[in-house]
Amino acid sequence: MSAVTQITAVSLLNLRNIPKRVGTSLVIVIGIAGVVAVLISVLSMSIGFRKTIDNSARADRTIVLSQGADSEAASNLSRANALSIVDAPGVKKGSSGKPIASAETLIVAPVARKGDRSEAYVTLRGVGSEAFALRPEVKLVAGRMFQPAVHELLVGQSALAQFADLDIGSRITLREGEWTVVGIFTSEGNSHESELMADADTVLSAYALTSFNSLTVLLDSQASFGAFKDALTTNPALTVDAKTEPEYFATVSKPLNRILDLVATTIGGIMAIGALFGALNTMYSAVSSRSTEIAMLRAIGFGGGAVVVSVLIEALSLALLGAIAGVATAYFGFNGHAISTIGGTVGNSQLVYSLTVSPRLMALGMALACAIGFLGGLFPAIRAARLPVAAALRAT
Amino acid sequence: MKYFPLIWAGLRRKPARSIFTLLSVVVAFLLFGMLQGINAGFAKVIADQHLDRLLTDPRVPGGAPIPIADLQMIEKVPGVTAIAPRAIFFGAYQQPKNGIFALATFPDRWFAVRPEFVMQKEQLDRLLKTRDGIAVTVAMQKQYGWKIGDRIPIQSRILKQSGSGEWVFELAGVFDNTDNPGLGFLALINYAYFDEARAKDRGTADRFIVRISDPKRSTQTAAAIDKLFANSVHETRTQSEKEQAQAQLKQVGDINFFTTAIVGAVFFTLLFLTANTMMQSVRERIPEFAVLKTIGYSDASVLMLVLVEALCLCVFSAAIGLAIAMAIFPTLTSIFGGFKLEWAVIASGIVAAVMVALLSAFLPAWRVKQLRIVDAMAGR
Repeated sequence: MSAVTQITAVSLLNLRNIPKRVGTSLVIVIGIAGVVAVLISVLSMSIGFRKTIDNSARADRTIVLSQGADSEAASNLSRANALSIVDAPGVKKGSSGKPIASAETLIVAPVARKGDRSEAYVTLRGVGSEAFALRPEVKLVAGRMFQPAVHELLVGQSALAQFADLDIGSRITLREGEWTVVGIFTSEGNSHESELMADADTVLSAYALTSFNSLTVLLDSQASFGAFKDALTTNPALTVDAKTEPEYFATVSKPLNRILDLVATTIGGIMAIGALFGALNTMYSAVSSRSTEIAMLRAIGFGGGAVVVSVLIEALSLALLGAIAGVATAYFGFNGHAISTIGGTVGNSQLVYSLTVSPRLMALGMALACAIGFLGGLFPAIRAARLPVAAALRAT
Repeated sequence: MKYFPLIWAGLRRKPARSIFTLLSVVVAFLLFGMLQGINAGFAKVIADQHLDRLLTDPRVPGGAPIPIADLQMIEKVPGVTAIAPRAIFFGAYQQPKNGIFALATFPDRWFAVRPEFVMQKEQLDRLLKTRDGIAVTVAMQKQYGWKIGDRIPIQSRILKQSGSGEWVFELAGVFDNTDNPGLGFLALINYAYFDEARAKDRGTADRFIVRISDPKRSTQTAAAIDKLFANSVHETRTQSEKEQAQAQLKQVGDINFFTTAIVGAVFFTLLFLTANTMMQSVRERIPEFAVLKTIGYSDASVLMLVLVEALCLCVFSAAIGLAIAMAIFPTLTSIFGGFKLEWAVIASGIVAAVMVALLSAFLPAWRVKQLRIVDAMAGR
């Protein structure tokens, strides 16, 4: 008999035997399903968060912050600075000849979470008149634009979905009285969609501020970044840093991503070890309950290799079954589910994002399950193959 | 005790099975200890909030800070026993990563509203007398190896009137939080010095901390304070410290749900695993139990034997798992903030282990109790 025929014969024998050992076999399936589901759900937070932040970035947009500031909230730009920055070479001009740029100011606005109505904060972004040309992905989907000098604002779709009382016509209490929601915008689901938007000068005067937080400009092309940055650093009147948006948003998302990744790997890792012990337990008992059968097979000429491979195949099949159950739980339970955590642009303001169970994540879960199944099956398999035939046969 | 050899023999029957079960339980309780520990730590933060303390903030977050003169008005509200204003000062010592977070306040007033913090009398007097003095928590002093009298330079984004962000303070003393000794990182500086030197927001405070005589009347007292400033240019919002802490924790996300969901998943799997192990182990030993019954063991005592065997295995492994959790917990606190693994978590872990053991061993134990000797001996 060829090795392949032997392996197929023994494996089929084992697999057909599983229904008789449902209880012990389920230990592997449930254990691995739990590990995979937990690992994937936690990582889906991290991926969703990263996706939302990365989506905000365009390579030909540049954000200018005051020197040393690591975020918009920590940055401070005077009006004079803003004016000389937009005159730098490389800044794209709109059809009217105005540079496409927006000097922006950020404020935290208190809102209530839907459901338990607990308090949360969102970012209110005061933007310049060219903001919509600067960010073509931002589209007004309902209502109208805000008017300058009036206390009016727009609400992002994600913020509207997550927080209460932000519909058109609602009033939000901020400094200097109530502001009315006049429109709703989408922004391809990126971080701006968790924000409110209003006219920068109106916000500045309401909050008695004299300087902006940041300035974002659209460049002629990605290649103009070097010239633009040089112009700013060589200008003695300016102490600012320019970063491309991809670079800036990568720095912003780093701390939370690190924590989420750490939590996922620690908990997932510990659970994986636990599941490995469960798998070993199951496979050892599967092997020992069949020691007579295995000895019989060996006695009639089946090779040790065939026995090893067949036990491994059984362990891997059970592990894969568990992985599918785990991935399905995570996918159907959490994929696309919108949550909000701290992570917004200022203070402890909220960022709304969707949990994302990506194909890569599913593959990761499957791979982990296979590793557990393989290790959990290997040692029992070797033991099965080494079983002394005569002794095992005599045991009955 | 005389049954111990029997139980031990039962566990040793298949050493591999017992060891793998033990390790699975260890891992489950390691996770339980860590996650519940974090959960309990946050719960303790909220429980530690004193009910007799109110916090008065600007009504809108990020709104204009409150004039320090309001202090006298709040002080006269009935039920208010002590009040301290505070402004936040932050900066870095030597390197940007050495963040220093300080409260600019009147230290004697501050210790009166925060009695859980303690400082030696002479050091407090020295802090009050040294205009540019600073007091730090024990943990902070240890971290940077400062000695009393040291001049500590702090680089801050909060500018002095000269336009410089370079502040220098003299270490006047150390203090600590008795609720959480040796863990917190906090500093105190004199408001008078700070306010006179800073360029912006002079004559204001970010927050007033108010102590009241009757915690049951906290809502009414808070409303009375806010009423003082209603319709003024700097309206306030007063909340009890507990409400504030709860709201703040919610900002982070639903930690409780997260940990409970994972612990739930882990225990479900674990229960399944141990129940299965016990079932299998008992099934293999049916003839042995029949022999025990034949030589005179009562139904109840064989039932107890099985239950105690499961209890020994689960509780012993759970204790190991919780001990490991306790050992590695300090490294977690660097991420989640300073708190210890509560003894209540350890106790609830042991209770959980007992529950898992009883639940998983009950069916097999019952089966052994019902065993008819003749059938078992005959292998029926």
